[in-house]
Amino acid sequence: MKLLRRALLALSLASILAGGLRLRGKGGVPPQQGGWRELRVPRS
Amino acid sequence: MLRSFPVRLAWFDLDPLAARRAVTNHGGIVVESVGDLVAADVVIVAVPSPHAECVATFTEEGVHVVSLADDPTDIAAMLSEHATAKDHGVSVVVGAGVSPGLTGVLAHHLGERLSIVDEIHVAMHGTAGPACARRHHDALAGRAVGWHDGEWVERPGGSGRELCWFPEPIGPADCYRAAVADPLLLHLAFPDAERISARVSATRRDRLTARLPMLSPPHRDGDRGGVRVEVRGAAADGARVTHLVGAEGRTADLAGAVAGSFALACAAGRTAAGVVVAGADHELSTWMLRSVADAGVRLREYTGVASSVVAGSTERPGSTESNRSTGVS
Repeated sequence: MKLLRRALLALSLASILAGGLRLRGKGGVPPQQGGWRELRVPRS
Repeated sequence: MLRSFPVRLAWFDLDPLAARRAVTNHGGIVVESVGDLVAADVVIVAVPSPHAECVATFTEEGVHVVSLADDPTDIAAMLSEHATAKDHGVSVVVGAGVSPGLTGVLAHHLGERLSIVDEIHVAMHGTAGPACARRHHDALAGRAVGWHDGEWVERPGGSGRELCWFPEPIGPADCYRAAVADPLLLHLAFPDAERISARVSATRRDRLTARLPMLSPPHRDGDRGGVRVEVRGAAADGARVTHLVGAEGRTADLAGAVAGSFALACAAGRTAAGVVVAGADHELSTWMLRSVADAGVRLREYTGVASSVVAGSTERPGSTESNRSTGVS
C-alpha cells in the first residue's frame, strides 16, 4: 500500500511538472501576412 | 500556344488514336512513322524514356530536337550529343519539361536577383501522364544524385523527407530525394552553385511500393501539379538572401508550355547549336520565362516569411523548418 501511494505521488508530481513545462511556452503567433503572390515577369 | 504561331504540326504516336486525338485538339497531320518527322524543323520528343537514340537520329538528320526526358542516364547520354549537334548546326534541348526544364528557367530568373548563387533546391509535385507517373515511381527507388559542396553525392531515393509548400491550391506536400536529372542539368547551368538538390512529392504508399511494380495504373491524363525553386545566395550588398518561386497547374500543360516554348525558340533561331540546357543562357531564359507566362503558366513568388523568422535566422522559407514558425504557404 505504501509503495502504491509513493508511485501515485511520483506520477502526480511528474504530471504537474510536465503540465507546467507544456503550458509555459507561448506557442508562437502565426504570420499575419505573406504567402504566394503572382510573379512579375519582365518584358523580354 | 502553338496555334497562335504560324507553325505546321505533324504528330506521331505509337497509339494512332492518340495522334488523331492530338490532331483533333490542336490541328496538324498524323504521320505514319517516326522517320517521317525528319522533314520537320523541330521535333519534340515526349515519348517514354529512353530518348537518346531517337534524339541522335534526328540530330544527324539536321533537325532541332526538344526532349522532355528526365531520366538521369538518358539525360547523360543526350548531353554527349553536343559535338554532333554543333557539327550539324542544330540545337538539342535536354530536359524541356517541368523538372528539369521550368526549374532551370525559374532558377535563372532568381539568380538574376543575386550577385552569387550558392544553393539551388527544387521540388516537384504531380505527374503529367502514365509514362511520367512510372518515372516518378522508379525515381523513388533509384539513387538520387545531388551536388554538395563541390562534389556529387548519392543518396537513396525516398530519403530526406522535407515538407515543402507549393503554390495554392496544392499547398504542403512531403517531398523526398529521387533519381531525377535536375541536379545534373542545373549544375551545367549554374556551375558555381555549391549545393543543388531535387526532390519529388510522394505519399507513404509511393515510398512503400517504390521497389515493387506499380500497384494501380497511373492516371491517363495526369493530374494537377506544381514546382518550386529555391535559390539562396548573396545579394549585391553581401546580405544572405533566399528567393523562392513556383508554378502550378495541370502538370501536362506546364510541361507542354515549356516544351512548346523551347521548340519555338529553336525555330526562331534563339538557341545556339549544340546541347541546350534550361537556365544556362541569359537571353534564352529571359525569353522562355516570358513565353511560358504568356502560354498561361501561373508563376508565383513566395513572400510569406514572418518578421520573427527573418530576424537572425537562416531557415528556409516555405519548407518544414520555417513553417513550424510561419505555418503558412
